[in-house]
Amino acid sequence: MSRVDRKVRRRLLGAASAFGVLFAAACSSGGNSTVADGDLPAEIKVVSVTDQTGTTAYVGNSQLRGIELAIQEINDQEYLGDSKIVLQKRDSASDTQTAVSQATEALTDKSVSALLGPVLSAHAVAIAPLVERAGLPTIFTQSGSEGVVIGDYTYRATAPMETYFVKALERLQQQGVETVSVLYNAGNVTLAGLGEKTIPEGQDKYGYRILSSTSVQATTQDFGTTATKIAGENPDAVIVLLVGAGNSTAMSQLRQAGYTGPVVGNPAAGAGNLAPAGAAGAGMYWATDFSFHQKDETSQQFVEAYRAKYNGENPLNYAAEGYDATWMLAHAAKNSGGASRDDLQRGLEQVVAEGFDGALGPVRFEGNDMRVDGVLVEWNGTEEVLLDGQESTE
Amino acid sequence: MSQLVIDALVLGSIYLLFCLGMSISWGTIDILNFAHGGIFMFSAFVASQIVSNVGLGLVTVCLISVVVGAALSAAIDVFAFQPILRRAKNQRTAELQILIGGIGIGTIPVAIVQFRTLSEPFGFLGSSYETSVYTLGGLRLTSTGLIVLGCALILTLAISFWLKNTSHGLALRAIGVDSETAELMGVKRRQLSLLTMAVSGGLAGLAGALLTYNLGAITAESGETLLIKAFAIIILGGVGSTGGAALGAMVLAFSEVLVLRYTGGGWVDAVGFGLILVVLLLRPQGIFGRKEVRRV
Repeated sequence: MSRVDRKVRRRLLGAASAFGVLFAAACSSGGNSTVADGDLPAEIKVVSVTDQTGTTAYVGNSQLRGIELAIQEINDQEYLGDSKIVLQKRDSASDTQTAVSQATEALTDKSVSALLGPVLSAHAVAIAPLVERAGLPTIFTQSGSEGVVIGDYTYRATAPMETYFVKALERLQQQGVETVSVLYNAGNVTLAGLGEKTIPEGQDKYGYRILSSTSVQATTQDFGTTATKIAGENPDAVIVLLVGAGNSTAMSQLRQAGYTGPVVGNPAAGAGNLAPAGAAGAGMYWATDFSFHQKDETSQQFVEAYRAKYNGENPLNYAAEGYDATWMLAHAAKNSGGASRDDLQRGLEQVVAEGFDGALGPVRFEGNDMRVDGVLVEWNGTEEVLLDGQESTE
Repeated sequence: MSQLVIDALVLGSIYLLFCLGMSISWGTIDILNFAHGGIFMFSAFVASQIVSNVGLGLVTVCLISVVVGAALSAAIDVFAFQPILRRAKNQRTAELQILIGGIGIGTIPVAIVQFRTLSEPFGFLGSSYETSVYTLGGLRLTSTGLIVLGCALILTLAISFWLKNTSHGLALRAIGVDSETAELMGVKRRQLSLLTMAVSGGLAGLAGALLTYNLGAITAESGETLLIKAFAIIILGGVGSTGGAALGAMVLAFSEVLVLRYTGGGWVDAVGFGLILVVLLLRPQGIFGRKEVRRV
């Protein structure tokens, strides 16, 4: 989700690794009982490290809701016989050091079978080498940067955005768009990758020409100048790759600048981020790995269960990702017939080889990295609706 | 090019509205309030909570935000800054403790709003006010931009007049020069400090409401982002100078707009703050700042 400068990342990794080794050594004589291979204990301990507070709390809390729903289902269905998954929740509060500390605590506790990892790339990149070295199966969600899925014990239950973003480019082609202007957040590694690589490379294939590509910093709040520039270029479409409130501000200012055409966004425009724009946001559409409107049977089963548990609330993509990550662990335990760390790793190998139908729809993997078809959604001024020619199942 | 000037003036006015309150408290009562960003954001948040239940117009929303900002700032002064000033061994220690205290206090409203909103953006969707766009000769200005410009201009002139031509302003400036001597001359430092902090907070509240209207939405962290820019603007213009703050805000806004228009947006802060650095190397006290003279 967020970019970590390479130098800072290396230093962070070094510090985190050193801290992890020291902490592990200090705790190695602890009394935590190890789960034996081939054993399904009464309680399978899983730790969640995510942002329940801080700048990405809306992501972390949503992910956690999906995790808790999945665990409730797994336990209620007795999917693992008499074994129950027990979740230990840790709030990393959008702080990398806290996330590393909590993950280290989990990996040194031998009774912990798996980790459901954080959502921020900065956290995941720091944690991945630690869990990999300790042999703790860890499933990250979001965390789109490189250095997260690095070995046999690290998995990611969020498809890279560039794998389904092309759906939006295909729609541009269907709309007969010949010229586009791009506005993107250069401080976000995923969005910068789309703005600097995926979109320029798509010009020949999808038949559009880029009139201008404007990068902004992660801290930019006002897009008035860029909106003026883009409106003056009079493109057939605009691609806006921003996070949080930037989406609603950019849409409002583009409309105020006189631009009336279609706008391609990204999943960060969802989760209520575009809502403050109201009617000015109408016409922005984006490809996402999940929408509660999508009609896949397993997706709708998830949506119904989520609404039933959370007072009719519709799930976000982060919840669907957390839900599928948790079910991956359950499938892994079932496949291997055990809940030790090595059992789960073996079981996960089978899960990624076979794929499964989950909240995100049909799920497959490249290596340990998830792939999904994705769907197109549009903000119509008051709510998100499904595009793609798929009618809502509601 | 003319449109760029308009865009820069609006952006500069936003910066100016934000840093006017900070400038007053720092330049007169020596309180560099790093909780200003938190007050700015929290005032707008409270107004957004009210407006989501009751459809209110722009003026009412701004008034709510001003009152919340003033009350919050005054409370911080009474419960945090004044006790620090009373207990500190000397002025230098007090300033440092206030600075650190302000940073700490500023995190509280941010944490509260993050908790309440889960860090999702908030705005004034329930407000009856709607932004209009005026176009003349190919130039475009929104009604909100016009209000921001007008408020920045009027408030800058009013505050400048207040500080230069009223007894309160004279007393405040006397405190800014030498607080102990000013108190010996009968200036009621504590009451004036409270008044200044309330005015400063009210301005933060007004800026919060207007910026939220202008951008459509802000987040819990929006104030923190502006804080460092406001700090730089005040240093550039000269601490204690309202005109300097106005000039500093416009210099930063124009440099940002030009960089964004003609180069990559990634250079905005580098060029803007680089320009400020150059000015300060040539004129360390800021453009309109007083040169400090140390007597031995």
